[in-house]
Amino acid sequence: MTVVDGLKAAALIFVAAILQVAVLTQIDVFGGAPDVLLVTLVAVALLRGTIMGAAGGFFGGLLVDTATLGKLGLSSLVLTIAGYWIGRYGETTGRDRAHAPFLSVAVVTILYSFGLLAVDFVLGERAPAGAMLRALLPSIALNLILTAPVYALVRRLLRPLEREDLATEVQLLG
Amino acid sequence: MAVLGSSGQRSRSDRHPSRVRSAAVRRGVLAVLVVAALALLTISFRSPNSGVLHTVQGYGASALRPFQIAAERVARPFRDAYGYVDGLATAKSQNAKLRSEVQRWRAVANANLAAARQAEELKALLRYEEGPTYPKDYRTVNASVISFPSGPFAQQLTISAGSHAGIRLNTPVVSAGALVGHVTLVGPSTSQVTLLSDPDSAVPARDLGTGVSGVIRHGPRNTLFLDRVGKEQVVRKGDVIVTQGTVDRRYPDYFPYGIPIGQVTGVGTSDIASYLTVQVAPFAQLGSLDAVGALIANRPAPNLP
Repeated sequence: MTVVDGLKAAALIFVAAILQVAVLTQIDVFGGAPDVLLVTLVAVALLRGTIMGAAGGFFGGLLVDTATLGKLGLSSLVLTIAGYWIGRYGETTGRDRAHAPFLSVAVVTILYSFGLLAVDFVLGERAPAGAMLRALLPSIALNLILTAPVYALVRRLLRPLEREDLATEVQLLG
Repeated sequence: MAVLGSSGQRSRSDRHPSRVRSAAVRRGVLAVLVVAALALLTISFRSPNSGVLHTVQGYGASALRPFQIAAERVARPFRDAYGYVDGLATAKSQNAKLRSEVQRWRAVANANLAAARQAEELKALLRYEEGPTYPKDYRTVNASVISFPSGPFAQQLTISAGSHAGIRLNTPVVSAGALVGHVTLVGPSTSQVTLLSDPDSAVPARDLGTGVSGVIRHGPRNTLFLDRVGKEQVVRKGDVIVTQGTVDRRYPDYFPYGIPIGQVTGVGTSDIASYLTVQVAPFAQLGSLDAVGALIANRPAPNLP
């Protein structure tokens, strides 16, 4: 990982966050909306690992909360954990698997929705589980549609690392 | 041939030092970021409308605004194209519906002309004391919508005008002459608007036709309903609902009298309910707002008890 990689990832996350708050939140398909920030974060985390995933999640969440004048730290908290978790998956079992981005996006969309719901609930904010559940399936479908082009774009900008460069605790022998 | 693991148990000291360091760094970074997010969340939650963090967030939002506007402009042709295609698909059914509505509104307009003439006479006779009226005591600050509700829970949007333009907390916000919501967070050049469809929103309102008063609240599936209307009161389908305005000078209302809110689409009741169920369709298209107007009072903001 280099400084250039970090800058590229930051630029990608920035553009995705701006697109998300300015454009994609207006889309409503059966109650769901695509989340290009989440999909971009998944792609960055899969290609660059845990640290970039967590940092990207924090940065992206901060941008969204700032742009929408929302509660600062709310999106950052959930996206940081999501980025770290997907980065870990990318460094270990998800490495070189063609289905990894799709599986990750589907799972993270679910966990992100439940994560936001849980944090809202803990903070005593409004947390309507019914509305979230109704929007979940369309959101997963829309995010999966975005996955292939977004992952291809991110992969073009952030070339996959060599195995030695990835932090891992699962050692491959032979 | 690659072998994943072996039957022998590796001792802790056999682990490569760089890998141990890498794991520690990774977990350290995660811990720092999570603690930072929690700290931000705590400060933001404890002082949502004031403090250094609020100010910094306001300036941050202002800095991001040009990017949001640029993204919105780039996306606008695609949105318009989608809207055009979508509009064509629904145009036929809408046409028939609109024709019948035009007939009904024409009748209403004729009735209103007569009523307006009558009202002028009554005002002169009764020396009716008007409350604050929109053109007299308010000016409009037009602003574009730069971010939209970001999920099923959120019913707030961000507009491109803030305290520098005179916007204050609870400033009423309209679109095409109809009430949209009110300002709940103010930055230097951006503000957060909570829509009428937010479950926490409550706007004193009255039926323009019958004079019945109530409170406009959020109903199921993004509808509105006029709450607190007693069963003995009369509300008819098709009645226009407007803001109530200040009734008692001791308890001034942030919303001036007479801003149209919506039209009654159904009135129901049940044996166990204390109030009528008055469903209201909002005049403003709360789901697709591009530009709004904030009504700035020329007089000092009222202090609510």
